[in-house]
Amino acid sequence: MVEDKILVWKFNRGSKDALRRIYEKYKDDLLGLAITLLRDRSLAEDVVHDVFVSFAGTAGAFHLSGTLKGYLSTCVANSARDRNRLRSGRDAGPDVVEAAGSNSTGPMERAIGREESGQLNDLLARLSYEQREVIVLHLHHGMRFREIAKALGISINTVQSRYRYGLDKLRSILNSVVTK
Amino acid sequence: MRPKENIEKFVRVRKPHVTTSRQMDKRTLNDSFAAMEQTIRAKPADHKPSTARIITLSRMMKLTAAAAVIIVGISLFIAHQGPSEKGGTTRVLEVAESPSEIMTMKSLTIAYRRGGIKGIENQCEKALKILGPQPASISLGDLFNGSNG
Repeated sequence: MVEDKILVWKFNRGSKDALRRIYEKYKDDLLGLAITLLRDRSLAEDVVHDVFVSFAGTAGAFHLSGTLKGYLSTCVANSARDRNRLRSGRDAGPDVVEAAGSNSTGPMERAIGREESGQLNDLLARLSYEQREVIVLHLHHGMRFREIAKALGISINTVQSRYRYGLDKLRSILNSVVTK
Repeated sequence: MRPKENIEKFVRVRKPHVTTSRQMDKRTLNDSFAAMEQTIRAKPADHKPSTARIITLSRMMKLTAAAAVIIVGISLFIAHQGPSEKGGTTRVLEVAESPSEIMTMKSLTIAYRRGGIKGIENQCEKALKILGPQPASISLGDLFNGSNG
């Protein structure tokens, strides 16, 4: 948190090192978020790229009110939503699972990570985009419901109900898988 | 039926661990640096906020500025409306009626400030006119004692 404040202070004074450090600190998390939301690696990379370029354009006037991670996650979520609307329901399919785990370190870890994240991605893909968005922002990126509501411009009750219905749906999907 | 906490844990531990490619890093950083430079070049004045901006941003500065304005206002009001030296002199001169009052150090000082040596001469002439012709041997004390001094 303090490190982020210092990085933002330096960034506002035109430090390229600060911008590079911010990018390196959050790039993987943000790409993971974009991939989970969009289920398309190339689209997700474009989203993260656009978010960082527009963030860099605020140098000298950027004011951080919450956490930097929360701010960037919100930007990625909003940009991903716009991209999702644009592609109008076209889904990336199973290659996303491959893409999500393809850059892990060892072969064993890669295989396990691919399997687990692929399993979750398959499950999350069966939720609506809005439910997936709220669940991922809350559980993977540690954002509070209030923060999510503010970031998405919706009420906190809507966020909570999307989260609850999303989890219920996940639970029923998992139960049906277990009983088969 | 799985409890809610189990589902949350299930989702949380399966967070995808993704790493960006080198090409993506290079492209993103290059474009970000370019955007940053462009922004900084476009508005260099933004790094140095104006005095008005500093005052409007800080509550403490607002109070200080308001206090300074009030103090300056009161000072100006006193300077224009308060008793001036000139007014004070007029009042003293209006009150001073007897020759001894006219010839006091205070009256002479004020007369000097108003008209220099000429002012003192006028003041003395005024006193002599009131006293009228007197013998040359009379002392200064007797001179003023004899005329309402």
